[in-house]
Amino acid sequence: MGVRLAYIAAVPLPLADEMQPSLKTCLTPPAQACRARRGLLAAVLACALSAGAVQAHGDVAGPSLPPPVEWQIAQPPGQPPAGVSDLKFAEFFRLPVGPRGLEPSARLLALNGQPVRLVGYMARESAPTAGRLILTPLPVTLGDEDEPLADDLPPSVAYVHFSGQAAAAPLPHLGGLLRLQGRLSVGPRTEADGHVSMVRLLLDEPASKPLSQLAKTAP
Amino acid sequence: MLRPLLPCRRLPFTAAAVALAIAASAHAAPQVTRLTPPSNPALAGASTLARFLPDQKFDLQATVQPGGGVAIVRVSFAIDGKTVATLDHDGSATDQFTGATSLVKNGLVKELASGSVVASVRAYRSSQAGLHTLTVTATDANGALTARSGQFEVVPLTTAAGKPAKNIIFMLGDGMGASHRTAARIMSRGYLQGMAQGRLAMDTFPVTGMVMTASLNSIVTDSAPGMSNYVSGNKGANNMEGVFPDDTVAAFDNPRIEYLSEYLHRRKGTQLGIVTTADVFDATPAANAVHTASRGQGTGIVDQFLDDRHLTGLKVLMGGGRKWFLPNPSNTTSPQAANGSQRRAGSDYVLPADIVAGWAAAPGKLDPERDLIADFQAAGFAYAPDRSTLGKLGGADKLLGLFAYSNMNVAFDKIAGRRGASTVVNDYGFPDQPMLDEMADAALQVMARGNDKGFVLLIEGASIDKQSHLMDTDRWLLETLEFDRAIARAKAFAEQHPDTLVIVTADHECSGAAIIGASMVSDAALRALPATVADKRNKVVGVYEEAGFPAYAMQADGYPATTDIDRKMLIGYGANADRYEAWVSNPQPTRDEQQPFGAQPPLASFPASVRQRNEGQGFLVTGQVPSSQAVHTGTDVPLSAFGHGALLFTGVFDNTDVFFKLGQLALKGVPRTRSR
Repeated sequence: MGVRLAYIAAVPLPLADEMQPSLKTCLTPPAQACRARRGLLAAVLACALSAGAVQAHGDVAGPSLPPPVEWQIAQPPGQPPAGVSDLKFAEFFRLPVGPRGLEPSARLLALNGQPVRLVGYMARESAPTAGRLILTPLPVTLGDEDEPLADDLPPSVAYVHFSGQAAAAPLPHLGGLLRLQGRLSVGPRTEADGHVSMVRLLLDEPASKPLSQLAKTAP
Repeated sequence: MLRPLLPCRRLPFTAAAVALAIAASAHAAPQVTRLTPPSNPALAGASTLARFLPDQKFDLQATVQPGGGVAIVRVSFAIDGKTVATLDHDGSATDQFTGATSLVKNGLVKELASGSVVASVRAYRSSQAGLHTLTVTATDANGALTARSGQFEVVPLTTAAGKPAKNIIFMLGDGMGASHRTAARIMSRGYLQGMAQGRLAMDTFPVTGMVMTASLNSIVTDSAPGMSNYVSGNKGANNMEGVFPDDTVAAFDNPRIEYLSEYLHRRKGTQLGIVTTADVFDATPAANAVHTASRGQGTGIVDQFLDDRHLTGLKVLMGGGRKWFLPNPSNTTSPQAANGSQRRAGSDYVLPADIVAGWAAAPGKLDPERDLIADFQAAGFAYAPDRSTLGKLGGADKLLGLFAYSNMNVAFDKIAGRRGASTVVNDYGFPDQPMLDEMADAALQVMARGNDKGFVLLIEGASIDKQSHLMDTDRWLLETLEFDRAIARAKAFAEQHPDTLVIVTADHECSGAAIIGASMVSDAALRALPATVADKRNKVVGVYEEAGFPAYAMQADGYPATTDIDRKMLIGYGANADRYEAWVSNPQPTRDEQQPFGAQPPLASFPASVRQRNEGQGFLVTGQVPSSQAVHTGTDVPLSAFGHGALLFTGVFDNTDVFFKLGQLALKGVPRTRSR
């Protein structure tokens, strides 16, 4: 783990893809251990993700933190369950984006229709849609109040569709990294918000359930 | 000369703007429930609402609802008592199109009574200056008549002294109010003992006025009418571009008003350039060339940039928004390889026959499968997907630049990327995006070449607004600096081409930004303070003399080495949503570790929050607006002018007045009265 942390600290790239190992870090060590690693970027990030890590608040009472959310949804980090593939945003398309558009990777196309796990951030939307969220490789606040569809989304995002109780109402914004497992769907589809999505993650009802639990604890 | 707002006009028909039932049995008479162009209520002293330049095209339209269920059989239009069109209902349920006129019976808003019609006469124009009366008379099957009148004005062009302006460069800082300008000056030029130690490029313009920015339906405009009011001379409703509101649900059939670009192209052969840091379909760029009631119709908007280039003289189109230009045949073919295309039939356009006939517009087609980049290239446009290619295309006759998938990354991240301090632009997949001044240089080079008729060039600093919505102080500050560097390029062009006018303004203010003072502590101390009002506000915010003069170190690239200096300038927001204020630079997209200098002290130890921006790091500021973002405000915005005819832009005037000043300058020159 120490080796991995050092690697992350040396590369200031907090893409969702890069952060997966650090989740595990925060699963186990107490807050004190997190504080000890304060100098390391990744460790600090991991601390911020943890309920016990209060570095961001100093030692005074700030707004109460919700419980850590990432691993409630996640399958345990490490090897995915049998038959499930871990997919990274950086593996979606060839980067930089080509002059004539995105070029999907062979891996993305090969996983179309297959169960995959994705780790990313839930985009903050001013008008979220019930039953779906946008999972992004970087934290994004969509400034769509005055510019609908002229947004600041990176090309590599996944529209996550879920069902059951979690889809009963628009989900409040869930901070931190989310690890989601569902069936991958690739190809242009028109979403209810007017966007054309390229990549979707379709969660069945059991996989959607943790989202509704998280929604209850969201600020 | 041009008179702002044309106040105190007594209407020739005091009661003309209200429905007048002529029929004996009033209950059975049809009703004209909307008349376009819109008129004022019949108030003595009301300003004339709809104004046009001589020969400027606009559509006449009336919504007629039947009275007592009796069928409407005829709608006629008259100007000053002289009939211009009589439309007879053929009794069918089918929409009728005859030349440049129509009777539309389907696709009307559901509030209208059954049997209602929307009658249109397209592309009307009058060269006769003065106030005119439009009267629409509706007849039903019982012979009951209703007439409704309204007025519009044709504003005369005035005899000029000297030559007309050849080129117009319209620098539009979206959302840029006085505070944005001041804050950018403080950051980039510095103040000592109360004196600014330098001027922004826009500060050096010799004339400045103040602009009223309201839209047709609100004191607070959005960016669509915010732009189109400047270049159509008429008030548009929010979300609408170059059209008046109507009673149909279709987005591309609204009554049109000819844009400055179209008017000048038709009258004198000018060409049009559009340069923005936003997605090119966004409201401000589109509201210079495309007519729609719905600013979100991206596919149809970008198609019309090309399809109607014979109306606008489009020569340069640059910005983000590549996703609208890529073929997306997925509506009919599945599976379809993903290329990032956002094109879809639902946001595409097909024009009604009367608009095609009246305006000589392309009819349009629902074609998400269209390869619009290829079509642009076939029409003679050189295509630049990145800065390196752009640098090689200065010799092109026409230029298309699409530097990002949607909005371009902001200056804060582009500059950090160039300094090797951030990977945001790489993460977005567009590592080689130009800065706005580089785009402006390329555009001016192409616009000026082989162009003896002149041009209209819009250059938009788009994300001053977008980052102000997000109350990302450090980012909109750098956006304003980037915009000012483009202004310097435009000014340099005007100095070399003295027949050029440059104006710098905004479509509206955004966020109610205000320079409230400066931090009283160092950056390190600021970050170490607990996130409470008692600490992070009371121990930080220095007001009046406590603020002193924040001093930023500028680098050779024109941007500050860091925005997180000790005793940094602090900004408050009067139109804010709930937020946490920590005062330190905040990433948007929020990704703390990816800030420029993120790997260096002090940011390397910055406690990252990936939950909610600044939550836990800043104190809660309860917003006045029930929104997730800051909003536009109704505050007047400054307008600065340089070059040929600049003196016309002094005083306080309406945004629609700017159109008449520009038309006068481009066609006649500075009015003789003003030149004295």
